[in-house]
Amino acid sequence: MIVLECENNLMFGATMTIAPNHHALGQHHAVSHPRRTVLERREAAAQRIEPRGRRTMTAEERAVALVDRGTFTWINRQYAAKAGVVTGWGLVDGRPVVVTSQDAAIASGAIGTALADAVQSAQRFALDHGYPIVYLNDSGGARIHDGIKALHGCGGIFNLNVKATRRIPQISVILGPCAGAAAYSPALTDWTIMVRELGQMFLTGPDIVKAATGEDATAEEIGGSGMHAGTSGVAHLAVDDEEAALAAARHLLSFVPSHAGAALPGLPSIDPDPVAEARLSTVVPEKASIVFDMHDVLNGVLDRGPRLELMPGYAPSIVTMLARLDGRPVGVVANQPKARGGILDAKSSVKAARFINFCGRFGVPVLTFVDVPGFLPGTVEESRGVITHGATLLRAYAEADGVAKLTVIVRKAYGGAYIAMGSPSIGADRSWAWPASEVAVMGPGGAVGLLHRRALADADDPAALRDELAAKYREEVASPYVAADAGIVDDVILPEETRARLVGALRVMSPIVSTAS
Amino acid sequence: MTDSVPLPAPVVANVWQLRVAVGDAVDVGTVVAVLESMKMEIPVEAHVAGTVVDLPAPEGTIVQEGDPVAVIQL
Repeated sequence: MIVLECENNLMFGATMTIAPNHHALGQHHAVSHPRRTVLERREAAAQRIEPRGRRTMTAEERAVALVDRGTFTWINRQYAAKAGVVTGWGLVDGRPVVVTSQDAAIASGAIGTALADAVQSAQRFALDHGYPIVYLNDSGGARIHDGIKALHGCGGIFNLNVKATRRIPQISVILGPCAGAAAYSPALTDWTIMVRELGQMFLTGPDIVKAATGEDATAEEIGGSGMHAGTSGVAHLAVDDEEAALAAARHLLSFVPSHAGAALPGLPSIDPDPVAEARLSTVVPEKASIVFDMHDVLNGVLDRGPRLELMPGYAPSIVTMLARLDGRPVGVVANQPKARGGILDAKSSVKAARFINFCGRFGVPVLTFVDVPGFLPGTVEESRGVITHGATLLRAYAEADGVAKLTVIVRKAYGGAYIAMGSPSIGADRSWAWPASEVAVMGPGGAVGLLHRRALADADDPAALRDELAAKYREEVASPYVAADAGIVDDVILPEETRARLVGALRVMSPIVSTAS
Repeated sequence: MTDSVPLPAPVVANVWQLRVAVGDAVDVGTVVAVLESMKMEIPVEAHVAGTVVDLPAPEGTIVQEGDPVAVIQL
C-alpha cells in the first residue's frame, strides 16, 4: 500500500489510499496536482474588486443575488469573466433562469468580441432550453478597440434578443451607465428595470452629447430613471437600489411561464381585500364626469397579494399590471379615470399595446376594465401620431390570440376607445357590463347636440329638452341592456358578481397552470 | 425669491374652476383647479407644498398640456 498525503484535505480528507498494483505514480499527480491548481486559480480569480461609485455589488455578486441561494452556476466561467461578463444560470423560486451580468470593473463593461460571444452563448442556452433570461446591464457600449468586430458582436446579441421575443421572457436591469449597444439590447427585451441615480440609458453620455450638438446635460437628465420611467417610456420600473432591482426582476418572473406555451406559475387563490370587495358596488360615481381610482375596483375583484404594476409613472391614464385571479397570473389593463380622466392617447395606447402583446406571447390572460371617455383629439395628439399609435392598441388585442381575453365595462365606453379597449369585435372572448355603464358611438351630450340640433334651437327651454333627450339616449341607445340584447356584451352584471364571472371563465379557458412549489 | 414651480395642466382642457386664490397655502394633493376636458372633471392636485403665487389661467380659458395652471412658491 502506498499512502499519499493529500495536497488538499478540503476535498479528499486527510489521506488517500491507493492500491500498490495501481500502475502509474504519475497518475496520482494527474489527480491531485491539477486540483490544487484549480482551487488556486479559482481563488486568484475571485479577488473582489471593490465596486465603484454608487454600486454596492460586483457583477458576480449581482448574478448570485438574483437567483435562489446556492443555485448560481457559471457558464464559460473564465472566458466570460475575462471578457467582462458573468454568465450562468440558477433557480428563481425553484425555476431555471439564465443570467448575464456585465462587469463594469473590466473596461467599464465594454462589449468586445469575447463579451458579445459569451452573452450570445448564454442567450442560446436559454433559447435552446426554454428558460427566461435576465440581463444585468452595466456597460459603456461597444469596445472601441474591437472595431467592426465589436459591432458585429453587439448586433449578434440584438439578433438573439429578437429571436427570443416569441419564445422566452427577457428582463433587462440597468445597474450603471449603459450607452449605445448596452441600451439598445434592453429596448429589444420585454421589461426594463432601472435603479434611480445608478442606472442610465442613452445613445451617448454627456461628453459626446456636448461634442455632437453642444447640448449641456447631465447623465441623469439624458438617460436617468426619471427620463425613462416617466417621460420616454424606455424603462418600465424605477427602484431605489440594486437589491430592489433584483427583487423586482424575481417578482416579475413569478407571474410568467418559463417559455411561451409553458404552464403559468399558479398559487393558491386568495380572496380580495374584504373592505374593497364590500365597497365595490359604490366605488364608481354615478355621474359619468366624476373621476375615481380604478385601483378601488381592481382591489375588489383581484386576489389580494402580490401585484406588479408596470410603467406606473408613464401615461398614468391607463394601468397595466400583473396580478392574480383565482391564483392564476393575469395581465390587467384598466383605464384610470383618476389620471387625466382616463383618456386614451398616443402614449397610453402604446403602453397598453406593449403589455397586451407581452401577455399574448406568453399566454397570460388579459383582463380589461373599461371606463374611457375616448381618444384625446386635437392638434397635439394628431401630431404625435395618435392614429398610428391607437391602431397599435387595436392590433395588440386582435393579435393576442391563444390567450383568454375578458373585458368588464365599468362605466363609459365611447366610440373608437370602446373598440380599442378589448371589445369582442377585436377579439375579447367574453365581455360584461356593469348596470350603470354607457356604451355608444359618443356620449349623450355630443350625440343629442348632433341628432337634435334643430329641435334644440327651436326649444323654449333648450337645457330641459337637452336633459330629457340625453336621458332618452342613455336608455335607448347607450344602455348596457342594448349591448346585451345585441349579443355583443354577454351579460349585464352587478359589480360584486364580477370576480365570479371572471374566475369561472378563466377556469374553463385557461386551464394550464402549474401548482406552486 | 425662493424657488417657485409651475403646476402643469395634465391635458388640454378648459379651466372650469379655480379652487384656490393667490396667496393660499397648499399641501401636496390639494386640489388647485378642476379642468374640463373630454366631458370629464379633471382635478389638478398640487405636486408640492407651498404658497400659490400665480394663477396664470383664469376660469374659462384653455390650457394646453404642460401649461401652468398655478405657480407655487416652495
